[in-house]
Amino acid sequence: MFENTTKLLLHDIENLHEIDVYIKNGGYEAFKKALKMTPDEVINEVKTSGLRGRGGACFPTGLKWTFMPKGKEKPKFLAVNGDESEPGSFKDRQIFEFNPHQLIEGILISGYAMGIDAAYIYIRGEYHKWIRLMQKALDDAYESGFIGKRMKEVFGTDYSIEIYIHKGAGAYICGEETSLMTSIEGDRGYPRFKPPFPAQRGLWNMPTTVNNVETIATVPAIIAIGGENYAKIGAQKHPGTLLFGVSGHINKPGVYELPTGTLLTDIIYNHCEGVLGNKKIKAVIPGGSSMPPLRGDEIDGVKMDEESLKEYGTHIGTGGIIVMNEDTDIVKVTLRIAHFYHHESCGQCTPCREGCGWMEKILKRIVAGEGTIKDLDLLVSVANNIEGNTICALGDAAAWPVRGFVTRFREDFEKYVTQSRVFKAPNIVHGRRNTADTLIEAV
Amino acid sequence: MPHIYIDDKLIEAQPNKTIIEVAFENGIDIPHFCWHPELTVAGNCRMCLVEVGMPKRLPNGTIAVDSSGKPEISYFPKLQIACATPVSEGMHVRTKSEAAINAQEAVMEFLLINHPLDCPICDEAGQCKLQEYAFNHSKGMSRFIETKNHKPKRQSWGPNVLFDAERCISCSRCIRFAKEIAHQDVLTFVQRGDHVTIELFENKEFDSPYSMNVIDICPVGALTSKDFRFKSRVWDMSFNDSICPGCARGCNTKIGVRNNEILRIEPRPNPYVNKFWMCDYGRLTQYDFVNNNRITDPFIKIEGNHQKVTLDEACSEAANRLKQFNPHQIMFVGSAKATNEDNYILAKFAKLLNVKNLDFIKSIDENFQDDLLRCADKTPNSIGAIEVGIKPDTHSVKIEQLSEKIASGDIQALLVMEENFEEYTEIFKNLSELKLLIILGYNHSNLSSLADVILPASTYAEIEGTYVNINRRVQHFTPAVVTSENLRFMGMKMSRLDKFGAFNDRWTQHQLRNSRQSWKIIQKIANNLNAGWSFRNSHDVFLEITHNIASFKGMTYELLDEFQGLVLGKAEKPDPKVRNYESHYMKPN
Repeated sequence: MFENTTKLLLHDIENLHEIDVYIKNGGYEAFKKALKMTPDEVINEVKTSGLRGRGGACFPTGLKWTFMPKGKEKPKFLAVNGDESEPGSFKDRQIFEFNPHQLIEGILISGYAMGIDAAYIYIRGEYHKWIRLMQKALDDAYESGFIGKRMKEVFGTDYSIEIYIHKGAGAYICGEETSLMTSIEGDRGYPRFKPPFPAQRGLWNMPTTVNNVETIATVPAIIAIGGENYAKIGAQKHPGTLLFGVSGHINKPGVYELPTGTLLTDIIYNHCEGVLGNKKIKAVIPGGSSMPPLRGDEIDGVKMDEESLKEYGTHIGTGGIIVMNEDTDIVKVTLRIAHFYHHESCGQCTPCREGCGWMEKILKRIVAGEGTIKDLDLLVSVANNIEGNTICALGDAAAWPVRGFVTRFREDFEKYVTQSRVFKAPNIVHGRRNTADTLIEAV
Repeated sequence: MPHIYIDDKLIEAQPNKTIIEVAFENGIDIPHFCWHPELTVAGNCRMCLVEVGMPKRLPNGTIAVDSSGKPEISYFPKLQIACATPVSEGMHVRTKSEAAINAQEAVMEFLLINHPLDCPICDEAGQCKLQEYAFNHSKGMSRFIETKNHKPKRQSWGPNVLFDAERCISCSRCIRFAKEIAHQDVLTFVQRGDHVTIELFENKEFDSPYSMNVIDICPVGALTSKDFRFKSRVWDMSFNDSICPGCARGCNTKIGVRNNEILRIEPRPNPYVNKFWMCDYGRLTQYDFVNNNRITDPFIKIEGNHQKVTLDEACSEAANRLKQFNPHQIMFVGSAKATNEDNYILAKFAKLLNVKNLDFIKSIDENFQDDLLRCADKTPNSIGAIEVGIKPDTHSVKIEQLSEKIASGDIQALLVMEENFEEYTEIFKNLSELKLLIILGYNHSNLSSLADVILPASTYAEIEGTYVNINRRVQHFTPAVVTSENLRFMGMKMSRLDKFGAFNDRWTQHQLRNSRQSWKIIQKIANNLNAGWSFRNSHDVFLEITHNIASFKGMTYELLDEFQGLVLGKAEKPDPKVRNYESHYMKPN
């Protein structure tokens, strides 16, 4: 199953979602291999592989696992993040649909490595079909004794784990690891501040690790081919294969499993067979809507891995590539993205709660032709004030695209505020004025 | 004990504390909205963002030092919230760096963009944390020119609390208070983003006995008191320290007075008594008897009618008539509502007349008790009254026997201090048998209508004295309301309007009550019987108490104020002094 090292997640095998087919193709062998190693050896293997989290933050997975306390004093949990709420990202559902058992096997291996007692697969509520498919796979695995109490007789190990599927209720914020935990606990999906980190106090205040579905599904491949071999795939500092979900003005949108470091142009023009209507590219968002965009004229030579994208001031994110051709109205795109984050901001931290709504209001005004050139600087300033000042990364996710679009496509915005400007007396009530603070020097 | 530097000031911190706690204890105020020392940390207002750095460590584990030998500090790229970041050895915190101040100004701008500008009609104005920080920590201007969001206004949360969602800054202090302190988990955030608001769960009401504390901890005017709403601007009022007489807990309070009328009572922090809280009962019931239906002048009953007389006349009348009875025919009723000073002088007067029948009424209501503050004993000073000598000995008449002893004619004269027998109604059927009834009372009541001599006593809000609470803690308090007796003492403690209002000003049209603190009246009566006492003020009385009663030894009013009360018999071992947290209050006060 893992012979082709460019296809480690979505194999070209028919009906792989059925447990018999999966076993016939070498399924659950990686777990058996892992059982012959000690948990620390498994973690070291993942460390050697250089696997980095696929949820967007690109945190080294092996390192994250070492944060979990050793010993059995407290129950330990694993939360598998399949919320996949980022606009432009639709990769995890391919795993749920076509290769669910590799995810289950991944949970078994990572569970064994960290001594996890129970794992929760958190799937967004809108994914009705994929929840059903995943549940089917889970039921099959339970029936075969691969999970739960019968693991001793099937695998001959003392280790056992329970796996549950938790259905989200459709909030973007619940894809954030701490609010995912509050959501699983049954509370309102509010992020928690860190520290304490989930590995210290996570689900029900117990040590918890939160990993993306793709990350966990990659683990069996690493164990099967060995960490060193995995590290050789793709870019050196961000190795492995990635699921790129390509959408937008593209001839063949879809999910492509490719090694990291693949050229962006290669993905667009070769794998996706070019831009719709053979037009020029105006912008590409490389990793889901929250990432700063790339201009169409700077995508030549851009390699799709975290370290390379960093040089262009953006990130790999979830690998959801959104391509926009030259006819796209960038200002309206920005407004749509700002609207999304305004709608999805949980409302806990002041900067994100108030700032996301403010940015949307400014953009709405610009689109309505009532903006001024000052508003563009204001947008950047508001985005800067949100960024980094909130509990979770939603603030950053809302600020980055707005700032990215305004700074990289400033001429589009300027066109809006200069050409279609409707002159209206500004509201001067809030204008700059002297206050007691400026009048009295030292208070 | 980690050593940390806050704004380059070296501080030895307690371990496991957060930056904001350590800073607060050492006199550095980091701006914040959602943090409250008694509540869990929410970390959502983002006002307390500070720069945090740790000494740079070299790969071999040692700390890197710069050319001048000081450790090199590497600051975290992101600002950290001081309320949730625990201190650790060598930590450096900058609360006033450019980045921190920029973040604070940004948060203030964000908070104000959807906050209604209705300060002119907002009850919180003048003691509002948002106003205060807008003055101290914001740019003084806003770049927001869009339409503000609208949210529900005037939502009733319960019998005493009203919510205005537009003013709310979503700090979640009220939600956490309801959950953690009041143990009535009925509040929750609903909606998301800038539409977020707080609602009650379905068919639930926030009617906890402590519900009104959310009004105090709310940093803005989102939560207002139904009782106080629109009664007064806070800067028109004076706030003076007092003790709640509602039960034996003795919660520390501040009394808000305008036009010599108590408009509201709010808690004052005391870590050893009430922390930051008080119950709604204390707030709502302990001012009506001060404001209304007061006995303001002495009266003597002449031929069945009460006639107004001067205090001297009333006292000599009382003295002359008391003289006509044998001591065993007289009973003195002290009061657990009166101070130690009053009760001590009454006991001293009883000794002077050789009256042995001396007792007071205990008011016990088991249903009133709970495990936060409220006590079954609904009087403020029953322990103190016993301590200073208001107790019957084995042969004397006890308060329970009083009714039958009056009926049997054993007791013919009764002096009642600051008591109206509300909970001892069976006595009223026999009271007419008495040959002499002297009362020192606050309000006209059934009792005062029967009295032969009525003497106007001052309430707790008009006197200086001490109470002993349920944990035997002696607490000192001073007047908040003016009477003709304490006018000079009050001076600048009155509100500006009350003090300096012109004659045609409506705030000066209040009544100046001619009441006296009970011990002063008793001293006058006693001096009519040649006692020769010369106590000038409550200080003198308390000084004698500390000399004569062992458990009060070593106490003075100054020490009681300094240590926020001293425990009986432990004046030498006061509880440690701590810096009291006050979220936001009227300044200057």
